[in-house]
Amino acid sequence: MLDFFTIFSKGGIVLWCFQGTGVTESFTGPVNALIRSVILQERSGNNSYTHDALSLKYKLDNEFELVFVVGFQKILTLTYVDKFIDDVQLHFRDRYKNELEQKGALTLLNSIFAFEDDFKMLLREAEESSKARGPTSMRSFNASLKSQKTVKSMIETKGGDKGKEQGGKKNKNAKKEAPAAEPVKGEKVKAPASAQKTVENGNQGLTQEEIIQKKREEFIRKRMGAPVEKPSKSPKPAKEKPKGKEKRVWTLGGSSTKELDYSQSNGNGAHAAGDQGLDAQADPGMQLSSMKGDLLAVDYESSEGDEEEEEGEDAVERVVVVDTSKKIPKKGAIGGMFGMLKGLVGSKSLSQEDMEPVLEKMRDHLIAKNVAAEIASQLCDSVAKKLEGKVMGTFTTVASTVKGALQDSLVQILQPKRRVDILRDVLEARSQHRPFVITFCGVNGVGKSTNLAKISFWLIENGFTVLIAACDTFRAGAVEQLRTHQRRLNSLHPPQDHGGRPVVQLYEKGYGKDAAGIAMEAIAYARNQAFDVVLVDTAGRMQDNTPLMTALAKLIAVNMPDLVLFVGEALVGNEAVDQLVKFNQALADHSMSDKPRLIDGIVLTKFDTIDDKVGAAISMTYITGQPIVFVGTGQTYNDLRSLNARAVVGALMKA
Amino acid sequence: MEDDIDVKAGENPFQPYLDALRNELEHQDPVFIIGIIFSLAVVVITFVLLKYFLSSKTVQSAVLLVGLCDSGKTLLFSRLLSGKFRKTQTSITDNSAPYKAKNEKGSSWTLIDLPGHDGLRPQYVEKFKSAARAIVFVVDSAIFQKEVRDVAEFLYFLLTDSAVSRNVPSLIVACNKQDITMAKSAKLIQQQLEKEMNTLRVTRSAALGTQDGSAGSSVHLGKKGKDFEFSQLPMMVEFLECSARGSKGENGQADIGSLEKSLAKL
Repeated sequence: MLDFFTIFSKGGIVLWCFQGTGVTESFTGPVNALIRSVILQERSGNNSYTHDALSLKYKLDNEFELVFVVGFQKILTLTYVDKFIDDVQLHFRDRYKNELEQKGALTLLNSIFAFEDDFKMLLREAEESSKARGPTSMRSFNASLKSQKTVKSMIETKGGDKGKEQGGKKNKNAKKEAPAAEPVKGEKVKAPASAQKTVENGNQGLTQEEIIQKKREEFIRKRMGAPVEKPSKSPKPAKEKPKGKEKRVWTLGGSSTKELDYSQSNGNGAHAAGDQGLDAQADPGMQLSSMKGDLLAVDYESSEGDEEEEEGEDAVERVVVVDTSKKIPKKGAIGGMFGMLKGLVGSKSLSQEDMEPVLEKMRDHLIAKNVAAEIASQLCDSVAKKLEGKVMGTFTTVASTVKGALQDSLVQILQPKRRVDILRDVLEARSQHRPFVITFCGVNGVGKSTNLAKISFWLIENGFTVLIAACDTFRAGAVEQLRTHQRRLNSLHPPQDHGGRPVVQLYEKGYGKDAAGIAMEAIAYARNQAFDVVLVDTAGRMQDNTPLMTALAKLIAVNMPDLVLFVGEALVGNEAVDQLVKFNQALADHSMSDKPRLIDGIVLTKFDTIDDKVGAAISMTYITGQPIVFVGTGQTYNDLRSLNARAVVGALMKA
Repeated sequence: MEDDIDVKAGENPFQPYLDALRNELEHQDPVFIIGIIFSLAVVVITFVLLKYFLSSKTVQSAVLLVGLCDSGKTLLFSRLLSGKFRKTQTSITDNSAPYKAKNEKGSSWTLIDLPGHDGLRPQYVEKFKSAARAIVFVVDSAIFQKEVRDVAEFLYFLLTDSAVSRNVPSLIVACNKQDITMAKSAKLIQQQLEKEMNTLRVTRSAALGTQDGSAGSSVHLGKKGKDFEFSQLPMMVEFLECSARGSKGENGQADIGSLEKSLAKL
């Protein structure tokens, strides 16, 4: 039933492989995809991966530098696979210990690993043991837990979890009386679903075989690795509908564009004073009386659903923190001293308990340096997986090994996965007689327009002509800001020096118009006038503002820019994860093609405001896998840099 | 008063030992003392010399197999060392083994196969570049057209590296995968790379400095004012064709004769 099983060294040489009967495709492709997306991107926290129709599970052996990969069809759920990989690993190591222990690849190349028979035997054993457990029969309704609960305990109220816990306590009492207390007769019986429910402490009233059944199901559930689901929402006879999220109404967005049209008062020159008067009159008056009196407090109208979610998340985080703090091993004083000495001299293989305290400290250190919390924990899990079982050399402590491995992973994450050379790509586009289009997107206030100006300065210095497309048609002053930049750039590089034509031009259509349309016209104009680069400035938008995200996705899908840059500030903390995930999600959802344009690169701004809390760089590159193309370090035109991975990791790991 | 007593008590335990030592030394032959000092100095000098010689032996005794991902480095490594075909996957770490060259001297050096994946490349090159006496740059000739800019960038990065321009190892560009019909010839690859490096010289020097102020390398390739050619480089550059898989499929021989000859000349 397995499609394939390979054992290969970390250097890439396949030591032994097995291909299931009837499987003709080579497995090299999927395994390479597994290596590139999981192991090399430091996501080896969980050990399974899906690729097309195949599901792959893998295990790293760090002592002998081997990787074990098994692949099977995604639709099959084979329960014996995890244990099977472990068995195969132990067997292989024991049998070929001599060959594997030698350093150097020569022995690996020359030896033949005839593992067929052992493998077949292990596979047979695993399959038989899984069959022996047999399918569990559904419990009848009376035997299930649900019949013993009261109706009241199952009605979901606002304090949802508390209600279920009370239901558990009531459960105990109810069972003492009789199962016939208030059986919810009319309800559907979902016996397999109840098997998945978190079983509360109602063991007392059940008979012996029911206890065995329950324990068996728990075991299966643990093997399948099913996440602990919230108690399922049974079809309630409850009166109140669960309170869903109210649709958030953005006061000034998306409803009617007429109110946003300030185009009559659009100043085309430097008459600022006169314009102010015009602006005040042209204001449609919708905002005229709304600010009278005291300022209103910030209101939380739609946040009931959000509040619950936030509480749940906080609870989960708190639970996680408590659990890990419990796991810190308590070493006795003498044992600790001997352990330290043992660790210094001789070869000692790393185990999870050894690494746990060091990883804990590293995780806190990373979080203190402004890396997003979940990314820090994923990174630490991945490093633990990479180091488990590895043999340390003499005079190396656990802390130094873990730190070294973490440093390597961080440098690897920050290294760009593809070539980053904008000037070369612009030259390529110029040779094809088309403009190179760069789009800037991001949330409000991160520095899109400022960094756009810096990038156009850099491009002009290198001899390219730039067209700036003002697709921010919402924020007051956005077009004027870009016009000011254009004028300053043109004065710094006057047209006389560059062949008589201005190096920067602004393409704008005022306020209130559709951004995607302006972008399309700007690109067509650039093609006609033979501009080298088009820089498209968009309005800042929050990542959960759906209409605006749709508009952005439409702009990108319709215009197909060469580079989509996400502008993020270095001050952001855990928000970075949310922003990038939602931006990518929106771009993927709203594009028509099957290969959607996602974020291609990141611009990290306000880098001069953080000293060495450079964790935002790690969060952003880890989430998207895309490189950091520019780093903004100030507000003048010269403050544009590229990223030096080693320096950033050095600042990050500094105590 | 009490302090004086304390001080005296402190000195007293050591005083007899110090006196005894001084007496001993005075009684001994001065030659003996000189002998002790001399032997200590010899030990120290031996350590220093050993370290120097050992390290100099490892310097420049390795040949690196570098290239982009999927260009066939690990298979080439296997063929060169054992002649056999092995299935390979993307390498996560390096492979190294001693290699006996096929020349009359029978010289042997270390052959190191570095991973080509973009995330790992820089750290491994950093680790092994100073030990390289020759670099074999493996190119996938079949998909070269699509990858030409990436290949050129990696080659540029190698050639402008400070350690490489100091040690001047010889460069062999092995155009691999010649068994595929669409493979480009070595001459064509050379011309394309020269054109691309020409452009890269301009764009790379105009690239932005890094955020901590460290500038990129300032090595200028080739001659200023003239188009870039590989013959202008200070090191020996050779382009050759090879096929690690071999024209007869997995069980046949690999077509790496020219590569072995070049390696023998090192």
